[in-house]
Amino acid sequence: MSAHDTAAAQAREPGPIARVLLPIRGRLIAAALLSALGAVLTLVPLAAMAHIAALALGAAGALPDTLWSIVAISIACLLAGMASISAAELVAHLADNRLTHQLRLAAAQRLSHVPLGWFTGRASGEVKQAMQDDIGTLHELTAHFFTTAGRAAGAVLACALYLFAMDWRLAIVALLPFPAFFAFFGRAVKRSAANMGELATAMGRINNAVVEFTGGMPVLKAFGAAGKAHGAYREAVDSFARVFTDFTRPLVGAMANANAMIAPVAVLGVVLVAGTLFVAQGWMAPVDLLPFVLVAPGMSAPLLLLHYLTHDLNAATGAAQRVHALLQTPVLTQPAPAQRAIPAGAEVRFEQVGYAYDGQHNVLSDISFTLRPGTVTAVVGASGSGKSTLARLLLRFFDPTQGRITLGGADLRQMDSAALYRRIGFVLQEVRLIHASLRENIALGRPGAGLQEIEAAARAANIHERILRLPRGYDSVVGEDAQLSGGERQRVSIARAVLLDAPVLVLDEATAAADAESELAIQEALSRMAQGRSLLVIAHRLDTIAHADHIIVLEGGRIAEQGCHADLLSWGGRYARLWALGGHAPLQEEAGVAC
Amino acid sequence: MLKTFIDLLGDDARVLRRYGGLAVSYGLVSGLTIVTLVPILSRLLAGEARGAAPWLLLLIAGMAVCWAWRRQVEKAGVAVGVAILRSARQRVGDHVARLPVGWFTPQNTARLSHVLTQGMMALAQLPAHVLTPVISGAVVPLVIVVALFLLHWPLGLIALMALPLLAAMSLAAARLGRHAEQAYHRHFAQTSQRMVEFAQAQSVLRAFNGEGGGTRLLEQAMARQNRSATRLIYLSTASAVLNACTVQAIFAALLVAAMLWLQAAPDSATLIAAVVALLLVNRFIDPLLDVAGYGEVLRGVRGQLGAVREILAAQPLPEPAQSQAARDASVELRDVGFRYAAGEAAVLQDVSLHMAPWSMTALIGASGSGKTTLARLIARFFDVQQGSVRVGGVDVRDMSGEQLAAQISQIFQDSELFAGSIADNIRMGRPGAGDAEVLQAAHQAGVAEIIARLPQGIDTPVGEGGARLSGGERQRVAIARALIKRAPILLVDEATAALDAENQAVIAQALARLRGQCTLIVIAHQLSTVAMADHIVVLDGGRVCEQGTPAQLAAAGGRYAQFLAQRRAAKGWRLAPARS
Repeated sequence: MSAHDTAAAQAREPGPIARVLLPIRGRLIAAALLSALGAVLTLVPLAAMAHIAALALGAAGALPDTLWSIVAISIACLLAGMASISAAELVAHLADNRLTHQLRLAAAQRLSHVPLGWFTGRASGEVKQAMQDDIGTLHELTAHFFTTAGRAAGAVLACALYLFAMDWRLAIVALLPFPAFFAFFGRAVKRSAANMGELATAMGRINNAVVEFTGGMPVLKAFGAAGKAHGAYREAVDSFARVFTDFTRPLVGAMANANAMIAPVAVLGVVLVAGTLFVAQGWMAPVDLLPFVLVAPGMSAPLLLLHYLTHDLNAATGAAQRVHALLQTPVLTQPAPAQRAIPAGAEVRFEQVGYAYDGQHNVLSDISFTLRPGTVTAVVGASGSGKSTLARLLLRFFDPTQGRITLGGADLRQMDSAALYRRIGFVLQEVRLIHASLRENIALGRPGAGLQEIEAAARAANIHERILRLPRGYDSVVGEDAQLSGGERQRVSIARAVLLDAPVLVLDEATAAADAESELAIQEALSRMAQGRSLLVIAHRLDTIAHADHIIVLEGGRIAEQGCHADLLSWGGRYARLWALGGHAPLQEEAGVAC
Repeated sequence: MLKTFIDLLGDDARVLRRYGGLAVSYGLVSGLTIVTLVPILSRLLAGEARGAAPWLLLLIAGMAVCWAWRRQVEKAGVAVGVAILRSARQRVGDHVARLPVGWFTPQNTARLSHVLTQGMMALAQLPAHVLTPVISGAVVPLVIVVALFLLHWPLGLIALMALPLLAAMSLAAARLGRHAEQAYHRHFAQTSQRMVEFAQAQSVLRAFNGEGGGTRLLEQAMARQNRSATRLIYLSTASAVLNACTVQAIFAALLVAAMLWLQAAPDSATLIAAVVALLLVNRFIDPLLDVAGYGEVLRGVRGQLGAVREILAAQPLPEPAQSQAARDASVELRDVGFRYAAGEAAVLQDVSLHMAPWSMTALIGASGSGKTTLARLIARFFDVQQGSVRVGGVDVRDMSGEQLAAQISQIFQDSELFAGSIADNIRMGRPGAGDAEVLQAAHQAGVAEIIARLPQGIDTPVGEGGARLSGGERQRVAIARALIKRAPILLVDEATAALDAENQAVIAQALARLRGQCTLIVIAHQLSTVAMADHIVVLDGGRVCEQGTPAQLAAAGGRYAQFLAQRRAAKGWRLAPARS
């Protein structure tokens, strides 16, 4: 497909590309026009040279006085043309930079509001790929395509008009190689189209082989099987090379013909041969040949460059589609400002809540309970029973597919997310610290917090002393000069929750990842933080939550039983069995655990 | 740049040389053919159309040669492309297959896979689409310089002097943007990291976005990237303007020189020569401008080749000429010292340990104490800088990769699975294993309950990279794979392998069962595991600070005793109700 076809197709139907490029459309058009103008201006010296030659030869030695002003004008046009082209490049690149920045910002904003499941469903590398690399790929389209197209169009049109004005007959002959180029090229494309599918399949195969080869290498080496996977990779490479060779073989000839056709030497040759014939036939004066010799060979370069860029354009087009799709990712519904509900109090209620993954696989069904302010509610159950999903629903990482969850009487979906997260804090098993100073990490939820508050939170989380031992104390940067153990990181995340000081707190197996030294410290910190809040605790080990006010036993996504430790034990149901299975000693202060 | 290209192609570099030779000679033939315009136009302008005829024939012959030659160039270019897609991919593959396991970090793996797919495709397209016009564009002006000299030496001299000037200016122009480019790449990489973090830490960023918004840090990084990109754009534009200015200044100089000659022409023959010289000047400048137009494309190529160079520069582990077989199942470290990179702090120092065959050793210590590195060194993820690691009495550097791999089975972090069924993945540990053995390993690793849930059972495909299983499930399949291998030595990282309670139980059972049947080396986390060990090694800051039997160490009252006390205290903890 030629550049013109592509451009025309884009103009007809405003697809994702047009929509993605909309904010900078004006700038891109301006850049293309400036480019075209520049291309035309840089042709002026050539016409001037032809003109001077004609004058010189016509006057037989007596050059007009205007000679130097013509030279001056040509050089001025050359400089102006160059300036115009440079300005066009600058405009296009700045527009590209502006667009990509805005797209990245928009993507970040959008993704901050999609259900969290969107993130867990894909690798972090893919998210980066979409935000950084796909958007970056637009560069070929925005920064280069339009200016190059403008330049090529300007140069080709101006050349053609000029040559036709000079002598239409020779102009037709001189321009013949260009349609011939497209004819040969079109034939090559047609020939390759048949094999395109096979090439695409082979491409997919080799990409998979590469992924498996590179990603699996450590494991393969560990099993002494590196040779085997390497063999599979070698085979995939060889078979791709074969398919590629088969694919290109019929193309090479046609492409070579096409390229040879518009090489400057060929265009020049055609002009000279035809021109000599024209002169010999007396159809034109020898001096009229000069414009053709000067101008015609210069047309091939912009065309070739344009051709190369359209080749690259597929990648940018694909990227534009992906970017467009990314910006259309469904988000969690946010209430209109007028309809925002303000929670009254900190009571959490689950009302017949159900959640189905992909709309089919029920993870939770019919969950109802109340988390009264100032109490500890524990959720226990086997892995896969839905415990973590329950906690994440309360944090609105996704919305329930049935029923509703209220905080202080307000449906979570009716609340502004900032208002929600001011009231609910959490410490999850999977600790995430960000690449920033410890001070910033602790103050993540309250960037305005003073150092004293931050230190107090760190003290409460049993991590203050450790931070002070770091080279730069609270200014040490996580992952750089703050190398923390799993347990230490967990305590930093607790400090973060302490500083947020939310009335409701969700703890998900918060001690599981800790190493021995840290576990005790974390436990102390959690006990301290639990004072005076409502807690929802997702627990692994039953003995840690035996004192909870309320224990919910989940099984297969449903509440199997609920009550306090003593009641549950006395009922002899699921909980009692779990307790016995865990080999836990009877609580020493059993009598003290009343409901 | 050229050297990397040649290194990459290895024996196939001759294909590149052939292509290069053909492209250069194509440029020469093109140049010579173009130069025939001098006699042809001279004759025509002098009114001797007949005299132009022999030259015209030469021109036509030249065009025919050019055409045929161009086809050869294109074919040679495709051959280079195929050589890249075949030999260069194989070469990089061979190279990375010999790299230490430690090299395969997520970043390196991602870069490698990019280089092998898109990178190689881009390089393969290069000769056909970019190099041929660039090479011929660079050669043609050289021929024309000679012709200009013959026509009028001042013109030739200006053109000749222009070439080194042009080269110098384009080098200077390239340098102009280099600093800004490096800054841009740095900010680009930082933003990429922030994006990965944005995805990974999304839960935290979202919940703790009280005032600043969860995208604050990412937005700051993007703003920095945007600013450095703007700076780079201005500097690249300046460098492009500089390049174009140089070319056009040369053009102007040649134009003026030709005009002066024209003005002073004593006769019509000189006049004609001067006019023809003008045409040649144009043919001299045009290709130079074209070459300049490919500048940005060539810069991208340099980036790709740079990535290739970095991968090829990684040092593979040397393989011994003659591999020695392990004599028993012992593991020994002798005065081992190790650092990850020169100039970095030592991770292990003066570590000497002996693990007797069929014994169980527990490694404990705070994170960063060197436990993981120690286990990795036994599996030869890296080579030590001081001392030696001996498996079965043989220095691991004297064993082939396969032989060492046969001695050791590992249960480390989340392991890669391969597209294929669960059974295929387990069987990878012991390719000849029968169905009963596979089932037994599945059972022992807790995979049995996973396959009971799945309609296709053990033949369920795991998807690419095991994507259809959860993290914990993948890990259990990986454990089964390690167990079925029945290597004499088993390395286990309890802390990272135990993704959940089930996995923890699986590992504990496996350890209990395998104790006394193979040499067990465990980075221990659970009190029960430590208590089971024959020998405990406590690491602190990369050194062994205590070692002995559990009883000895418990009595010694040192770090281990402290560890025990903390562990016990933690076990009795209960989350108290808020009101108490």
